[in-house]
This record gives sequence, structure tokens and C-alpha cells, in this order.
Amino acid sequence: MISSNAQASIEGILLRAARSRLPQQPDDACDIVPLAQGYDSAGPEANVIILTISSILFRLLLVFHFDEDASTRDYFVKDGGEVSLQDALLEICNLCCGAVNQDLLRYFPDLGMSTPYVLSARCLSHLEQLKPDYLSSYAITINGSVQLAATVCVCAHAPIDFVADMTAVEESSGELELF
Amino acid sequence: MIEQYLLAALAGGVVTAILALPLHKLHSARAMARLRSETDTRVKTLSQTNEQQSALIDQGEQTNRQLESSLAQLREDLARQLKMAGEDRAALAAALEDKEQLLDQAKRIAGEASRLKSLAATFERWHEQMISLMTQNQDMHAKNHELSSIVKHVVIVSLNASIEAARAGTAGRGFAVVASEVRALAARSEELSRSYRDSLHRNDLTTTATFQDIQAGGKMITASLSSVEVLADQFQARPH
Repeated sequence: MISSNAQASIEGILLRAARSRLPQQPDDACDIVPLAQGYDSAGPEANVIILTISSILFRLLLVFHFDEDASTRDYFVKDGGEVSLQDALLEICNLCCGAVNQDLLRYFPDLGMSTPYVLSARCLSHLEQLKPDYLSSYAITINGSVQLAATVCVCAHAPIDFVADMTAVEESSGELELF
Repeated sequence: MIEQYLLAALAGGVVTAILALPLHKLHSARAMARLRSETDTRVKTLSQTNEQQSALIDQGEQTNRQLESSLAQLREDLARQLKMAGEDRAALAAALEDKEQLLDQAKRIAGEASRLKSLAATFERWHEQMISLMTQNQDMHAKNHELSSIVKHVVIVSLNASIEAARAGTAGRGFAVVASEVRALAARSEELSRSYRDSLHRNDLTTTATFQDIQAGGKMITASLSSVEVLADQFQARPH
């Protein structure tokens, strides 16, 4: 139901958003590798952050996996910041999803984005229950030390076919969401 | 002497008169001929002029007829234009009435769109209900975790019971059967707890995905309604 063009476009949009929003400094290296299977979280108590972009034709779930280890905390929480790691990650995921939303708006005029929510990583083994038409995971490494992952899950109610223009100049700011 | 002179003079006069008469006649004849010729020429010229005037009169009459025909045509056109102007006035009046109705409808659409944007509060209520549901799920997770701990403890107790039964020898045989049964029940409870935990996680995902879809869909609808409201306002504000 989702054409190969549309799948490639969604992947391209997600990866561009991840590269532009996840690194905290513009010069930070961001390596993204597609995963053949879902991301295995470090521990059974690991959490993920989930967001949804809805349109008339489809819903797109974005799941971000973070290891709550020292390197992740040091990278994402600013020095002496009063913000918890989870709050910092919620904001970053929101910005990243906002960038995806902005890109998709060029092809789907009616879109809405949810606020982020934290779930147990164990929930992700049930993603197939949502009957996704496109499910893909990516391992992301920032500066060679910070490990995280992203999963995109698209459930379509009608055939989707579009080709994203990946040469378009990216907007400097994503959608701001208050939560 | 004088008489001779007089006679001579008279004779001279008579001779002169006789001589002058033919000359006078000749001169008169020439003058007549010239006058006749001039008269003929003038008559001819006048005839030509007369013919030209007649032709001009004919042409004038023809032009007059054409003008009368054109005038009749113009009168006809004027009547038709007047009729069309009347129809146009009626159409304009109808269009003005339509415009008023359209403006009224645009105003109502803008009002409806503005009113429907309050649906956002409904979507927010649903989102709050999701939080409430998820809190209940968390509570069930905690209870299931507690149950799992109890079951693990029961397994240990049943193992200890089996060991104690074995130590008791023949006397403990019956007790060993009971301990084994308890361990089997604990194993089933453990399996059930694991399955229940999976169900809760699936429920978490389904609930979150559904309510996020509702929340995002609500924002999509609110944004669309805002666009409708803006368009209706622009239609109203447009100079008509």
C-alpha cells in the first residue's frame, strides 16, 4: 500500500530530520545504519519515546530509543542543567518529529502531530499489532559514543505514493510543540 | 460754291454710308456668329452641368435612402440594446443579491469554523483520558510485578517444601506431592503473570498509538478549520 518511492521518501525525510535535530552541535558526527530487525534495548527496563504524525491517509509513529547511560546523559543534558535527561530527550524527539512533520507537509497538506509519550521498550515487540505497512529501524551513533535508535512505523488506510524532494533547502526551525 | 461743297460732302457721306453699310453688316454678322458660338458653348456647358447635377441628385437620393435604412437599423439596434440593458440590470440585481447571500454564507462558515475549533478542548479531554488510562495501566503493571514476586517466592517455598519432604523420607511422601503441586501452580501463575505483562505492554502501545492518533488528528482538524476560517474571512474582506 506504500510504494517503494514513498518508503524511500519517508526514510530520507526521517534520516534528514535525525541528522539535523539529534546532534547538539552542527559539527557532531552522526552515523545512521539501517537495522535488519528492531533495536534491542540495553535493559528490560529501558524506555522509548513515541510520537505520532496523523494525516487523512496514514498515521506515522516515530519511536526513539535512548540508552540512559552516562554518555547519553553527558551529551544531551547541558552542563549543570536542571532539566532531567528524559525531559531533554522529550524536547529533542519533539523537534525531530516536528522536522519530519514540516517535510511531510509539502506532500500532505493535512497533518497533525501528537505530543511525545514515554513507554517501556517492551511495548515495541507489539508494533506488528498495529498492522504497519512500513516498519523500519535505524541505529544512530553520535560522535562515535552516543548510541540511540529510531523506528518508523507507518499504517496507511489508502495507497500512498510520493517522491520527496531531498534537495530542498531545510528550514532552520522545526515545529515548536508545548507539552 | 458752298452748295457744291455741301453736295460734295453729302455725296461723300452717302458714299461713305454705302461703303460702311456692308462693313457694318459684316461686322454684325461676325458678332452674331461669335455670340451664337458662345451661346452654344454655354448651353453645352449648362447641359453638362445639368446632367452632373442630375447625377448628384440621384446619388443624393440613393445616399438618403441608405441613411434612412441605417437609421431604421440603428433604431432597431437601440431597441435591442435597451432590452439587453434591462436584462443586464436584472442580472446585476440578481448577482448583487447572490453576493449578499455569499457574504452571509462566508460569515457563517467563518463562524462555524471558529466554533468548531473548540473541538480542540474535546481532543485535549481525550488526551487526558489517555493519561488516566495509562496511569491505570501502570498501576496494573505494578500489581502484576508484585504478583510475579509473590509467585517467585512461592516457587522457592515449594522447592524448600520438596527438600523438607525428601528429608522426611516415607513419612514426607504425601507432603512431597503437595509441594510438587504447589510448584506446578506457581509455574502456571508465573506464566500467566508473564502473559499478563505482555498484554499490558501491548495495551500500552495500542492505547498510546490510538490516543496519539486522536490528538494528532485533532490538531490536523483544528489546523484545517483555521484555514477555512482564514479563507472565509479573506472572502468577506475582499472588496466587492
